[in-house]
Amino acid sequence: MKKNLLSTAAAALALILGASGCQDTVNTVENRDLAMNPDSVDTRAFSTDSFCRDRLALISMRRSKTPGGVMMVQAQIRSERYGFWSELWSGMTGTNPYYVLYRFDWMDENGMAVSTAANAWQPLIFAPGEVKFIQGVAPNSRCKDFILSVREDPSAR
Amino acid sequence: MRTVSIFTVAALAAGILCGCGSSARRIDPSTQGVTTVRDVNTRDWNDVAARAVNSLVASGALVRQDGRKAIVMINEVKNRSGSRARTQILTNKLRQAMLASGKAVTTTAVGGRGPEDNATRQIRELENDDLFNQATVQKRGTVISPDLSLSGEIINQATRSGRTRENTFYFHVVLTDLKTGLAIWEDNFEITKQETVNIFGY
Repeated sequence: MKKNLLSTAAAALALILGASGCQDTVNTVENRDLAMNPDSVDTRAFSTDSFCRDRLALISMRRSKTPGGVMMVQAQIRSERYGFWSELWSGMTGTNPYYVLYRFDWMDENGMAVSTAANAWQPLIFAPGEVKFIQGVAPNSRCKDFILSVREDPSAR
Repeated sequence: MRTVSIFTVAALAAGILCGCGSSARRIDPSTQGVTTVRDVNTRDWNDVAARAVNSLVASGALVRQDGRKAIVMINEVKNRSGSRARTQILTNKLRQAMLASGKAVTTTAVGGRGPEDNATRQIRELENDDLFNQATVQKRGTVISPDLSLSGEIINQATRSGRTRENTFYFHVVLTDLKTGLAIWEDNFEITKQETVNIFGY
């Protein structure tokens, strides 16, 4: 009886380790003394999806101008779905890699949203621990304010 | 008795199968649209168009030194993929974005497959028609020739391994300066889709 219990526990442990060992996480290294002098954007977030909020981390939000004088923003986002339990859970639920959609909306100086083809939801696929840069370009030079929306991709579930 | 039961079960099964349809409704193509491996779907067009618009506007290629708005001719985006892709979907989205940029306008008087709007030429043929007040007929020599031309190509690479099918669509879009013939902006966008079919092949 005791032997059976031990065998079951060993098998379960092997299964868990096996499942978590199947993850393809991304490891990064960067130069410590950064030469860049980015123009960071102060952000305020309105989060309605606690899963998405916990699974993705906004590392930085920067802005710059294109040669044509149009505002451009860049969000640096990292998938936080690494570590033993996260990897185990995402492996079991088949949500690795993590599929999300993002969209930039731009407002002109009067606060009116300007619609272009770039307003569409765009897919993004994250491996655990992966860092991605998503860039949005304002439709014209009158647009200075933006909203970045991120959601899980329901079609990938 | 047994025959009656079989008929009852068959009728129930048929009823359930027939009841599996859904009525027509509007959907959000970005999250609810159909995704197929063989074709470029609506969400693919939206994604490629958004990326192309961002790249084009960010490049500053539409900005002219003299401050005038660039006149862009919409040439052909050739579909060399095996799918029935309607490339006008992409060019229409790009021309709308160019207009919204405030840096360019598109011409409909010339196009890759002839003028998009024949009216520019047609109304000038009214110059000998006494039905019309000649002072209101548009004169020849007033149509503005384009500075730039937008063209492109879509190709694909399909692969199959066992029951897994994969298809990658490569979109190549170019903006050519018609004065010099040089490409002042070009970019490539890829979309890869994969599916594993069941043992019956669908």
